[in-house]
Amino acid sequence: MERSFKAEVAKLRLGAGQTFNGEGILAVTKALLQSGVSYVGGYQGAPVSHLMDVLADARELLDELGVHFESCANEAGAAAMLGASINYPLRGAATWKSVVGTNVASDALSNLASAGVVGGTLIVIGEDYGEGASIIQERSHAFAQKSQVWLLDPRPNLPSIVRMVEKGFELSEASNTPVMLELRIRACHVHGSFETRDNVAPRHSRRNPVQKPVFSLERIPLPPHNYTQEKHKIAVRLPEALKFIRREQLNELFAGELRQVGIVLQGGMYNTTIRALQQLGLADAYGASRVPLYVLNVTYPLLPEEITRFCTGKRAVLVVEEGQPAHLEEAINAILRRADINDPHVVGKDVLPVAGEYTGEVVLKGVGDFLRLVMPDGVDLKHVDAVLDGVEQAKKRAAELLGMPVPTRPPGFCVGCPERPVFSALKLIERELGGIHISSDIGCHTFSTLPPFNLGNTVLGYGLSLAAASAVGPNFGKRVVTVMGDGGFWHQGLVTGVANAVFRNDDGVLIIMQNGYTSATGTQNIASSPDLRPEEGNPIAIENTLRGLGVKWLERVNNYEVASVADALRRAMTAPEKGLKVIIADGECMLERTRRERPIAAQKLAAGERVVRTRFGIDDDVCTGDRACIRLSGCPSLTIKDSPDPLRTEPVTTVDSGCVGCGLCGEAAHAAGLCPSFHRIEVIQNPSGWDRSCTDTTRVIGMGVRMRAHPGVTMVRGWWRRMTCPGPIHHPGGGIRAAKAAACSPTGS
Amino acid sequence: MLADWLIEAALYEGFPAQKTSIPGVSQRTGATTYYVEIFPEKGARPPVMALVPSPGGIDLMAASELVEAGRAMQNAFITPERTTLVASTHRVYATSEKMLPTDGRYDAEKILEAAPKVAQKAVLFDMSRMARGAGTVINAVLFGAMAGSGALPLSREACEQAIRGAGKGAEASLRGFAAGHAHAAGEKAPAAAPPPAVPPATASERVRREFPIPLHTLLDEAVARLADYQDAAYAALYLDRVRGVLAVDREAGGEPGGWPLTREAARLLALWMSYEDVIRVADLKTRASRFDRVRKEAAAKDGQIVVVTDYLKPSANEIADILPPAWAERLRRKAGPGRAVKLPTSAVSGFLAMRLLATLKPLRRRSARFREEQALIERWLGAIKRLGFAALDAGLALEIAQCARLVRGYGETQRRSREAFVRILDELVENEQAVARGAEALALAIRRAREAALVYEECQPAPAARAKPVIWMKQG
Repeated sequence: MERSFKAEVAKLRLGAGQTFNGEGILAVTKALLQSGVSYVGGYQGAPVSHLMDVLADARELLDELGVHFESCANEAGAAAMLGASINYPLRGAATWKSVVGTNVASDALSNLASAGVVGGTLIVIGEDYGEGASIIQERSHAFAQKSQVWLLDPRPNLPSIVRMVEKGFELSEASNTPVMLELRIRACHVHGSFETRDNVAPRHSRRNPVQKPVFSLERIPLPPHNYTQEKHKIAVRLPEALKFIRREQLNELFAGELRQVGIVLQGGMYNTTIRALQQLGLADAYGASRVPLYVLNVTYPLLPEEITRFCTGKRAVLVVEEGQPAHLEEAINAILRRADINDPHVVGKDVLPVAGEYTGEVVLKGVGDFLRLVMPDGVDLKHVDAVLDGVEQAKKRAAELLGMPVPTRPPGFCVGCPERPVFSALKLIERELGGIHISSDIGCHTFSTLPPFNLGNTVLGYGLSLAAASAVGPNFGKRVVTVMGDGGFWHQGLVTGVANAVFRNDDGVLIIMQNGYTSATGTQNIASSPDLRPEEGNPIAIENTLRGLGVKWLERVNNYEVASVADALRRAMTAPEKGLKVIIADGECMLERTRRERPIAAQKLAAGERVVRTRFGIDDDVCTGDRACIRLSGCPSLTIKDSPDPLRTEPVTTVDSGCVGCGLCGEAAHAAGLCPSFHRIEVIQNPSGWDRSCTDTTRVIGMGVRMRAHPGVTMVRGWWRRMTCPGPIHHPGGGIRAAKAAACSPTGS
Repeated sequence: MLADWLIEAALYEGFPAQKTSIPGVSQRTGATTYYVEIFPEKGARPPVMALVPSPGGIDLMAASELVEAGRAMQNAFITPERTTLVASTHRVYATSEKMLPTDGRYDAEKILEAAPKVAQKAVLFDMSRMARGAGTVINAVLFGAMAGSGALPLSREACEQAIRGAGKGAEASLRGFAAGHAHAAGEKAPAAAPPPAVPPATASERVRREFPIPLHTLLDEAVARLADYQDAAYAALYLDRVRGVLAVDREAGGEPGGWPLTREAARLLALWMSYEDVIRVADLKTRASRFDRVRKEAAAKDGQIVVVTDYLKPSANEIADILPPAWAERLRRKAGPGRAVKLPTSAVSGFLAMRLLATLKPLRRRSARFREEQALIERWLGAIKRLGFAALDAGLALEIAQCARLVRGYGETQRRSREAFVRILDELVENEQAVARGAEALALAIRRAREAALVYEECQPAPAARAKPVIWMKQG
């Protein structure tokens, strides 16, 4: 990756008593170093990519401390890496995006949790729930519960988050159990500050390695130890954890005067709940709430006695718990009944929605409805009604005034993206061969499922597209096309997909999008990234890997040449031989390419060297606005504007200034035989003498104009006209104006 | 960047502040939203700040594009008691708006009209243009407008310090900030040059004599276009044709409405008669004005050289179009895909090749396509006149006239929509049974069929009428 994180790395060096200013996820990174981790790993994904990106750039600092950092092959690899803490007192951390990453990690996670750890292990999971998340919507909570891994959900401010990281390691060691720290996307991106401490060099590290292996059969999940491990979790580790959580007061109680009611909430929901209470006139700006709050910074396990103490004597308690199933609400109900406390009415998913994210509006309405339902003494319900009605009215009024919902803006391929042309070609091939079943994968290329392409029938997981096609293929009347990114290929697809398909001699077509990075997560390096520096890793070529696996039908195409991509697809679809046919669609992520090339071009330009800037254009007067080009490419730079032609009432298509000159529009126009409006414009900056002599358009045009006026030419033109035009000509020559006059004279017809 | 400036400016003032963001995928595509809270009390102990916006609790909503402001209205983030809306009025169209072959743009007027009604105060202007003028990014102008609106608890000095502190490009950003600030604060911007006065229409003699005044500008434009396209006689033929439509319009009482039928038919007829064959394209692509336009579009500076390469793929059909009918017939029979050419039009060779093609203009009259187009035009005009007169219904005639929108474009797209056009003529306009059902039913059927022809598979959700235009079959 070309982006540099120098400024962020500097923040990781802050010492005792200094103030850190920055994003939540960077604060977590700093807290890991303050906790004396020996190793950190993970797999990139929003919103935790930043943690890995910064550490990848912090090699020097990590070397000083002796901390080992690696970006793992996938989340399963990252979870397995934590196995270092099973036998050795090494503190370690792993990070990934949840819930998808936790799914991949869960095999190793179960084994890790069962064996237990001696070194503190912390799993930082970025919760991508709601807020336009592009993954399936499930909770991570269930994973923590089923494996007995403790789950932290801190209040989303930097001091709380940092404290929970540090306490998380202690909790892990006190209970010999891995701990998960759950951060919602906004908490990762929140900008705040906290007072730093010095970084701590780990006890054991690359600088001071462990000398003797520890062998302990109890750590191996074979009978009878797998049974004793389970019992140990319940009999020893859980009580130890509860003891620690109680002693350190990891959960927080905020008293309030309205004792008839209370709110139990996930730490992550704290700020939103406070804002709702403020709007309803029940809290001040500093968070002092009239309603008592019990904030769960640890959402698993729960402390029964703290719950019962908080709920006793209340008429009703509201549980603010985002996501479903309602694990907390059900657990609280069970704890109360088990303690034979039957008074407080536990309200949760009846006033708040069962599913979906808890936005400001949702929580405001939920808390308001809770108060309207319970009607506690001392609450001005009229004010509550007024606030909620105000929101309702504003929405209604806006809907009335706007008439129809405004168009949505879903994400899509970037300008110049090398993946888009492949789908243009696929669309052309579909026109030729009829509809094709397309098995899609996770990555930027998933956007092919959106308009204008609408290509892709299923998405089953990262690197799983080829496996997902395995039963469609034999049951479908045509070869199935599978799309997989190079990120997905290395994450999972190589073994689960390709190796198995070759082994079974599957007869499908696989397109591997080789853009060089895991672009959708922020262009991190992978094994086949271009120009890897030695310290970044040993490059592995996908092509060699495939040949080594025994793939025989293999073609590599340049993505931007739409026609040749279409040709390759046609060959793959119609080739007589059976077996997996792989097309490597080659085109470096445009984002990274521009990041690398732009500074070089700027440098050259400043030095007075020749630099060519390329973009594309559309001739306004040639474009007839049928939009076939937009439907075939969907480039964000390809847009519309009012037609400058007074005779055309509909907009014309145009290329805006964001164009990076990838050439897709022109190539697509060629491949599909669209209109002749497209042209490439090369602006030669600091041109050479040679440039001047070959491409001086003004001279050429000037020459044309001069030639027109030449007496000989005029004579020939007159003759030419007489030969070819029917009817009398009243005003030979003389250009448009004279012609117009002629047309309007009575004899003109 | 805007959110960073806000935080820096708040810190400069000594106010606690917090920002969060939801990036689109990897902070690139889709909409990225930022939420900032500033607690305007110097050195206050840390308040609890929210990470998500709450309806009814927003003081300032900034939108760098107009539809984003509409989205904020929908979500009730703009309320009349509290919210100042600062939005740029320019549009960045969504894919769903761009891919229709007609005009799929959202009616932005609605947002402009709603803004002052739903917000406490609305500051709306084209910040994109102002940013271009100041040589900076839209965020700088937006920041200026936010500060100038009076809704930010930050001094101008603090805002400018924040911009300076960010370093790179600060000077340009400050220029944009100042421009946005002045506009929002209601200072009179230096009077923009008034739009060039439109010279009073100097309608040519024949247009003046034979056509009502409201049509003069349009017809003049059309006449000039066609004289340039072919010759004076061709332009005169155009006016003859328009006169026929005008007669229908007059009979049907089109005058009070400003001659809608004649206007639309004349407009479409002019476009149709100047159909884009390879001769026309070559001509348009080699004009001096075109090279000027390209230079301007590419923002090429003096001393820089602009090389233009045209992407052309004349198919055998398009070549056949300009040949005499007999030759065209032969060529079309063995038509294959065209040959893709990247023609360096700005180089001498490319330019001359194109010019050579353009000089074939006089031969166009003898070409196959010319004859075909004229025949189809006459068929279309005949239908307008015949049914228009018969029913004395300008509405029906207008529906028929508008079908000419289908006759345009290039290649496959053109072939498809042209087929649809001919089908409408065959099955509706020239079908006695369809005509017998009355003008109103016929007009509706024509409109449905026309709209169906303009909907493409990709344009989801497809209207229900997509697959099945109302069609009466000829019997026996």
